[in-house]
Amino acid sequence: MKKISIGIIAALALLLFWALVMRQPANENDQPGPAKTGGGDFTLQSANGPVALHSLKGKVVLLYFGYTFCPDICPTSLGFTSQALASLNKAELDKVQMLFVTVDPERDTLDKLKSYTAYFHPNIMGLSGTPEAIAKAAKLYGVGYAKHNTGSTGGYVVDHSAYTYVIAPDGSLFKTLDHGTPPAQIVDAIRAAMKKG
Amino acid sequence: MTGKFRSIRIATCMMGALIAAPVLAGPAAESISVSDPYVRIVPTGMTNTSAFMVLKNSDSKDHKLVKAESSASKVTELHTHTNEGGVMKMRPVKDIDIKAKGEAALKPGSLHVMMIGLKRELKEGDNVAITLTFEDGSSKKVEVPARKIQTEMKMEMKQEMVHDHKNMH
Repeated sequence: MKKISIGIIAALALLLFWALVMRQPANENDQPGPAKTGGGDFTLQSANGPVALHSLKGKVVLLYFGYTFCPDICPTSLGFTSQALASLNKAELDKVQMLFVTVDPERDTLDKLKSYTAYFHPNIMGLSGTPEAIAKAAKLYGVGYAKHNTGSTGGYVVDHSAYTYVIAPDGSLFKTLDHGTPPAQIVDAIRAAMKKG
Repeated sequence: MTGKFRSIRIATCMMGALIAAPVLAGPAAESISVSDPYVRIVPTGMTNTSAFMVLKNSDSKDHKLVKAESSASKVTELHTHTNEGGVMKMRPVKDIDIKAKGEAALKPGSLHVMMIGLKRELKEGDNVAITLTFEDGSSKKVEVPARKIQTEMKMEMKQEMVHDHKNMH
């Protein structure tokens, strides 16, 4: 009888120990939504040579995946972002870089990307690479994209996530902006990311 | 006696009017008005662009835009965008509904006229002629001004400010 009692007490003690010490609190960051993957470093090609994200540490980086044949969504996103960049003062602008990564490396040459992004703002740089390198970078940010033949004479379209990823100067993913975020809110996000350092 | 025949006459007139109504209604094109049309200027070297506008239907009958044509581009099609979990998909559409007494807004991120293979680069101040055809075969020609994206954005921001002021109370 005594042995059984000791056994029960021991079991209860273990249970208490487990309850107090071993249980993890619920993860506050378990929210559904874009970029659960948390971002990360990558290296892609620009018209002026390879660009590694980590080489831009110290700057706020705006990352966007699109393509130049995209007739509406990409020009709208780049339009809004360039409007936001135009609102920054020179000191702020020196610390911001936007990267436009193509999801259509077949049609988007580096030269085409260079002139396309320059049309919107000098602080926007076009990047391309092998399909594998692009896929790797896209996966880090949870970007979905897929070629689709719609039967349109305009050629194939590339469906793609249209978020803008705001990366803080320390290289970490700070915020994800929805497509169509107005310029004023983009400016707020850039300034908040700058403070994070 | 006069009373009995009077109501029959009225009823006959009403029936006649109802039967004649569709014929008297007129072509769809006459009931559709186009407001704030513009075609977007795109970076040099890009040969595809979109035209936007608001189509208003003053008729008591639904209408559909079934075709758009322009000599400014090799091909013109009707397209829309859907947003599926953050992924933007652009697809051609057969037609665009314009409900009776309603409107269809062709705007960025949504329905639009796709102009494929622009024959010349557009500049601010240029006008592009687009012919819109409706379900009954009637059509109307619209002069669509070319607008830079920066101009478009500034106009949007102004609109937002107006709305913000309205909501500030």
